[in-house]
Amino acid sequence: MSAAAPDGQPPLVSVEGLTRSFGGVPAVRAVSFAVGAGEIHALCGHNGAGKSTVVKMLSGQLAPDSGRVVIGGRPAELGSRQAAQRLGVALVDQELSVVPALTVLDNLLLGDVTAPLVSRRRAAAARCRRVLSDVGLDRLRPEQPLAELSIGERQLVEIARALSQNARLVILDEPTATLSDAEAGHVFAAIRRVAARGCAVIYVSHRLAEVLELCDTVTVLRDGRRIATTPASELTVDGLIVQMLGEAPRRLTAGREPDPRLTHALRIEHLRVPGRLADFTLTAPAGRICALAGQLGSGASDVLRALAGLHPQATGRAELRGRPVPLRTPAGAARAGVAIATNDRKSEGLFLGQSVAANLLATRLPALATAGVLRARGEQRAARSLAGLAGVPDRRLSDLVSTLSGGNQQKVFVGRCLGRDDVFALLLDEPTRGVDIGGRAAIHQMLRSAADAGLAVLFASTELEELLELGDVIVTMREGRVIARYEGGADGAALMRDMTHGDRAA
Amino acid sequence: MTAAEGPVPAEPARRIQPDALDIGIAAVVVALVVAGALTDRFFSLANARAILAAAASTGITAIGATLVMIAGSAVSLAVAQTASVVAMVFLATQQLGLAAAILLGLLCGVAITALQGAVVGFWAANPIVTTIAAGFAVGGIATWISGGTTVYPRVAAFDGLNSTPLGLPLAVYVLLALTALAQWVLRRTTVGKRLYLLGENPAAARAAGLPVAWVTVAAWAFFGACIALTGVFLAAFNTSATAGLGGTLSLDAIAAVLAGGTAIGGGHGSALRTLGGAVLISVISDLLLLRGFSTGIQLLAKGLLVLFVVIAVHVRSARGRR
Amino acid sequence: MSAGQAPAGQARRRAGLAAAGRLTSRPEILVPAVSLLLVLAAFLCTPLVSGNGLTAFDLFNTLQGLAQLGLLALGLGITMIAGEFDLSVAGTYAAGGMIAVQAGQSSAVLGVLAAVGAGAAIGAAQGGLVAAVRIPSLPVTLATYIALLGLASAMSGGLSVTYANTAATLALDRPVAVIFSLPSLITLAAFAIAALVLGGTRLGREVRAVGGDRRASRVAGVRVERTLVGLFTASGALAALGGALLSYSRASANPDPGLQPLILATVACLVGGVSLAGGRGLPAGLLAGLLAVALLGQIDAMTALPDYYTELLYAALLLVIVAVDAPGLRRGLDRLRAGAANRRGPLAR
Repeated sequence: MSAAAPDGQPPLVSVEGLTRSFGGVPAVRAVSFAVGAGEIHALCGHNGAGKSTVVKMLSGQLAPDSGRVVIGGRPAELGSRQAAQRLGVALVDQELSVVPALTVLDNLLLGDVTAPLVSRRRAAAARCRRVLSDVGLDRLRPEQPLAELSIGERQLVEIARALSQNARLVILDEPTATLSDAEAGHVFAAIRRVAARGCAVIYVSHRLAEVLELCDTVTVLRDGRRIATTPASELTVDGLIVQMLGEAPRRLTAGREPDPRLTHALRIEHLRVPGRLADFTLTAPAGRICALAGQLGSGASDVLRALAGLHPQATGRAELRGRPVPLRTPAGAARAGVAIATNDRKSEGLFLGQSVAANLLATRLPALATAGVLRARGEQRAARSLAGLAGVPDRRLSDLVSTLSGGNQQKVFVGRCLGRDDVFALLLDEPTRGVDIGGRAAIHQMLRSAADAGLAVLFASTELEELLELGDVIVTMREGRVIARYEGGADGAALMRDMTHGDRAA
Repeated sequence: MTAAEGPVPAEPARRIQPDALDIGIAAVVVALVVAGALTDRFFSLANARAILAAAASTGITAIGATLVMIAGSAVSLAVAQTASVVAMVFLATQQLGLAAAILLGLLCGVAITALQGAVVGFWAANPIVTTIAAGFAVGGIATWISGGTTVYPRVAAFDGLNSTPLGLPLAVYVLLALTALAQWVLRRTTVGKRLYLLGENPAAARAAGLPVAWVTVAAWAFFGACIALTGVFLAAFNTSATAGLGGTLSLDAIAAVLAGGTAIGGGHGSALRTLGGAVLISVISDLLLLRGFSTGIQLLAKGLLVLFVVIAVHVRSARGRR
Repeated sequence: MSAGQAPAGQARRRAGLAAAGRLTSRPEILVPAVSLLLVLAAFLCTPLVSGNGLTAFDLFNTLQGLAQLGLLALGLGITMIAGEFDLSVAGTYAAGGMIAVQAGQSSAVLGVLAAVGAGAAIGAAQGGLVAAVRIPSLPVTLATYIALLGLASAMSGGLSVTYANTAATLALDRPVAVIFSLPSLITLAAFAIAALVLGGTRLGREVRAVGGDRRASRVAGVRVERTLVGLFTASGALAALGGALLSYSRASANPDPGLQPLILATVACLVGGVSLAGGRGLPAGLLAGLLAVALLGQIDAMTALPDYYTELLYAALLLVIVAVDAPGLRRGLDRLRAGAANRRGPLAR
């Protein structure tokens, strides 16, 4: 178990009435909770519950619309990440802020305002070794280049850095999502040591079993509100799921029967990506929507990327309409009829500095051209028809995509894959990430129409509603493996359990 | 950019959108016109011809460099050496006839440059290091083959290239034709559109299944043809070729492209802009020359012009995004 | 030897081998070391080709060549480590030489100070544009390079300017301790200072961090803008100093050295293990790369081999460096390996 929470003492960190909206849509509504010194406090909630917004406000990346954060009895002005650091708030994010080009020692000293101008090697190395052993990294040498370390070890170095810079509050955002069990164990031990030294720890995670094992208290957020704060000893995983989801979770409606005329399918056999995906096999029939339910690090995203040719190390076999899909080049996958909408539309999807029309037509230029020369009126017509399919108004066709809202950008991204007669499989990774309710409905409709038109649609998501509503077949995944497969008879709680804590399927 | 309300506007690709950068350049042009009016002999036909003639050689290479910059490969430092080699090949094969000599020169330029394009496209290698390496290789091979001596043609079949129809050197007409061709390729062909996409976001282009490597090779091949044309004209003009014939062509071409307002990061720009940039540089040099300023001052002014345009381009694109 | 000593000796040897293995797996050490060794081997073989033995004078000349390019390469190298490519250093090199000659006709020191001051100012302006306005360094420094060449040419009317202060010239060219000279000692001292600063101070750590991962550095609290401006200022000052010393040593300032110094300095950096992408490079490695370039130049002079041998050698070296850093090539190799694994059988691990 974890260190006992102190009693009778005022909390070290007190969050009071934090509120924040984005463009009129409330993301966090008057959330309050307190964390004592030495307490490991979990923050749980499903997608859109407001966890990441709270974390951003606590670490100085966002300013709250109202409410305040009190640290050590004094209200804290968290204007920037640096300001937060100076006040003793350290954030260990999914996006690590350690520099691989430097050594371990250099990373520990980076940004430390108390470090001397001229490094005193021996003293610094000794202090470094002490700090490293505090997080269980005794086997590392201070002069070791960080680039040699695994992701888990780098994360531990970042935690060590927070420690050595006298943090009073350490926030960890999904720290074990991409770690192995052994590495996760080291992280837990490090967190316990950190707490034992009197730090307050806020631990954000989807892995509910880990949360209950590590943390002292759990605060659950739903729809931006704090639902409950309960000592971990009084909770079970199922109870936690009920708190997170609210009333009776939705049941999956009976799966739609596939149109017997459509026999084309996407057959995947023994798909593997070293270190991320172990043996994935699935047949996704044309006309049906298959859903992969898995959190970050579950391998769901890697299945899609491997099929689209974005993993040069992928092995296995994939067949679409009876023809093999080359697995290691994106151009090859595209030729075989696979189209993908990745989960990062900004850096790996859209061409932000180009117009909406250019983006929509980006993948169908050959169809609009004869011998490489584009036909005169063809572009305009095609752009307009695509804009209709994508649900984007005509008048925005010549605007830069960067000026569109997140929802519209995603519509352009998904719409780009539609209406082509050379696409037979549509892969989508988090199809409605960062999209509002209206856009979400529109994109779901687009996917349903695509399936009805005869495509095999395969998408990965962590949104329970989306999975249950769209998926004719739902495959749950965790740690690179398939956990279970549902064709009706699934409910949100079962999916949740599989994704966060389920037993491994044989 | 704000969307216009009302009926669908004309085809997006052809709409002219004036913005801060273009207004800035227009202001510079106006200033130049005023200065020109105050300068003796500026507004004369002979002077106009001189301006265009001076811009021709560099301009031809710069048009090719534009395509490569739009595709995101930034710059090539092997241009001068390639032009020299093509000039040597052209002069050494004069006895085969003008057409054959030109063809051989073109093949040579295209092959050398397309090979660099393949390294950059297929290996995703750094273009600067690749072209420095190529520059050494090409320069070394050129010196080796020529034995370090000047190459003289045995026959002078190239006299026609030095002709001046309507008082303008043939090179100017070739520049204008090439600009039109490049502009057409960029706006109306599949490969041209793909160049913009590739330069804008190579990762997205790759993920979308576009043949990024071959598109890169195509851009560099065109570049090679342009360099070859410049080499041919240089050879015809100088009637002899050494390894150093290319001179400062590498940087001059880049300067012309940048002065026209094409961003070094790729994804934007046009051949027309580069033509404008080459002419602008030529105008400023000519103006300064007429007013009695030294070549040093002309060079200084060129550098400051490019600096100004680069800053303006960057500020505009930074503000255009959210 | 007793039973207890043998395993202890073995353990020590194993630890030593492990340390050696770690050292050589880092490209910023491996590349310059291998290159320098190869070039040294070639250098030692030159008597076979030229028929004359190696003399101390050859070493002196090599070090003079090193001094000629050294400060320029160091300036270029430190900005490359921070992830930027500063083309203007070549322009500052030329302009610095011109300013030093023109301002220092009576007092060499005054000329040097003027040049270094101008170089620092130019560098600071570059750094400001790159860091504060966030413009990519390549186009900005290219434009500045052109402008500076123009400035140098304008200052001299396009011709070389003679430096009349023969006392200073002689002082700079006089051998010190047989093989060194004042410029080469100054260059070596600059490298020593750079190594100390980059490796052993907070500033050096921040420079390497900025080059390695700018976003992470900012998040970790590094003052990225200030670091970059300071770095560009230093590189400008170094390039100007290099140009000044060269002009004094040659007793003339050349307004247009062409692209050659820039290209050779870049080659010295790349062969020295500094990566164009930033974050990787050691001053010691850079010195080794520079020495290799200087030795190659000296080999050229001693053996009267045609120039193209060196040019083709550089081309080959750079091609290897390009291939080592190319992500597309690595992807291709991954693909081949996975393809082979696939063919062995879908269930084979």
